[in-house]
Amino acid sequence: MIEVSDIHKSYGQVEVIRGISFNVNPGEVVCIIGPSGSGKSTILRCLNGLETYQQGDIHIDGRRVDPEDRSIKDIRLRVSMVFQRFNLFPHRTALENVMEGPIYVMGIDPHEARERATNYLEKVGLADKLDSYPANLSGGQQQRVAIARALAMQPEAILFDEPTSALDPELVGDVLEVMRQLADEGMTMVVVTHEMGFAREVADRVLFLEGGVIVEQGPAKDVLSNPQEARTQSFLRRVLRPLV
Amino acid sequence: MSEVLSRAGDYMPVLLEGVWITIAVTVLSLLLSTVLGLFWAILGWTKIRAFQIISRTFITLIRGIPIIVQLFYIYFVMPDIGINLTAFQAGVIGMGIAYSAYQAENFRAGIEAIDRGQIEAAQSIGMSDSMIMWRVILPQAFRIALPPYGNTMIMMLKDSSLVSTITVTELTRQGQLVAASTFDNMTVFTLVALMYLVMALPLTYLARQLEKRYKKS
Repeated sequence: MIEVSDIHKSYGQVEVIRGISFNVNPGEVVCIIGPSGSGKSTILRCLNGLETYQQGDIHIDGRRVDPEDRSIKDIRLRVSMVFQRFNLFPHRTALENVMEGPIYVMGIDPHEARERATNYLEKVGLADKLDSYPANLSGGQQQRVAIARALAMQPEAILFDEPTSALDPELVGDVLEVMRQLADEGMTMVVVTHEMGFAREVADRVLFLEGGVIVEQGPAKDVLSNPQEARTQSFLRRVLRPLV
Repeated sequence: MSEVLSRAGDYMPVLLEGVWITIAVTVLSLLLSTVLGLFWAILGWTKIRAFQIISRTFITLIRGIPIIVQLFYIYFVMPDIGINLTAFQAGVIGMGIAYSAYQAENFRAGIEAIDRGQIEAAQSIGMSDSMIMWRVILPQAFRIALPPYGNTMIMMLKDSSLVSTITVTELTRQGQLVAASTFDNMTVFTLVALMYLVMALPLTYLARQLEKRYKKS
């Protein structure tokens, strides 16, 4: 459903994506790992039209992703995004955050939207926080509201941009648990992450990026347990045993 | 003392007439400056270069010219090109335009303070630019702009006295007229000063209440 072919992107003189291609099939969970500055967040943002790209093509359900074109709105309705820093609307309650898209973008009846939002907030374990403002929620709770907000758009796929990187360690588990549940239910997911345990257990496929190219890709267990490339091996050594 | 009070009582009805005009000028020009200020701020925020230039130029121009000169211009120069306004109309329009530049700067600061991630989150759920403006940016920008906005309200109340120079008989002008005919400057201008103060206090209170209410959420 997501087809990425030979994407190049530069900021001025610096080429941050240097020819990346991959596909994501319906129901698949793909984790993108790699050192910071490898271009993993950038490529994810390209998928949702939050970044432009100079060369190559991204197609979602056969439609080309072009941030400048009107069609981007439809594409964003199919593919939701969850951000590292949650980006909840601080002036709206958890419930209002989740209802915002269904009411104002999809034009759903407010009563129905409220019901839908309540269901999704229950699903992420926040039934008791409907009327809380983001400022009164922990990071983990905010991120789960953000996931509910993405789900409420009933997308075909969700993109996660380092969803647990801004969280205190003890809050990471709840968010990963929700994500695992989504994966089990067959949601198509592309996840940029540093959580190797999650990638190993949940991902169908792992892409290892460095220097703006895919260095290695394959089934999660192969890439993470038995990497073939020296650069993947060295990255995993650093991530898994940072103190040694 | 009782003599002073009885004289003050004599002046009151005339001065109160002025109070109503002062309130009318302040409220109407506040509304006009808010709408116009918002317009300039949004114009400056758009990605269209020509709009940005228009907005910047206007703000720079208006901020660089004394309000009193702008009032003279609207009241005395406009009739030469066929636009005749009453003193009251000229006063409200002049104050509204003059202060719209400051309001625009308040709103601009509020808009620019909104985190980029807010816009991205709104885009990612498929919102259009105008919807992002109204549903995400402005509600947050208003909160940020509220303390300076409260300040502007109070300044506008006091600066409404400037329209006395184009013969609008608001409080200051009425005071001048009464003082000129009675030579009782002390009583008249003390009363005028007190009346401004009494009008400013509820505004200060209102601004504080609004801030408190918005801070909760």
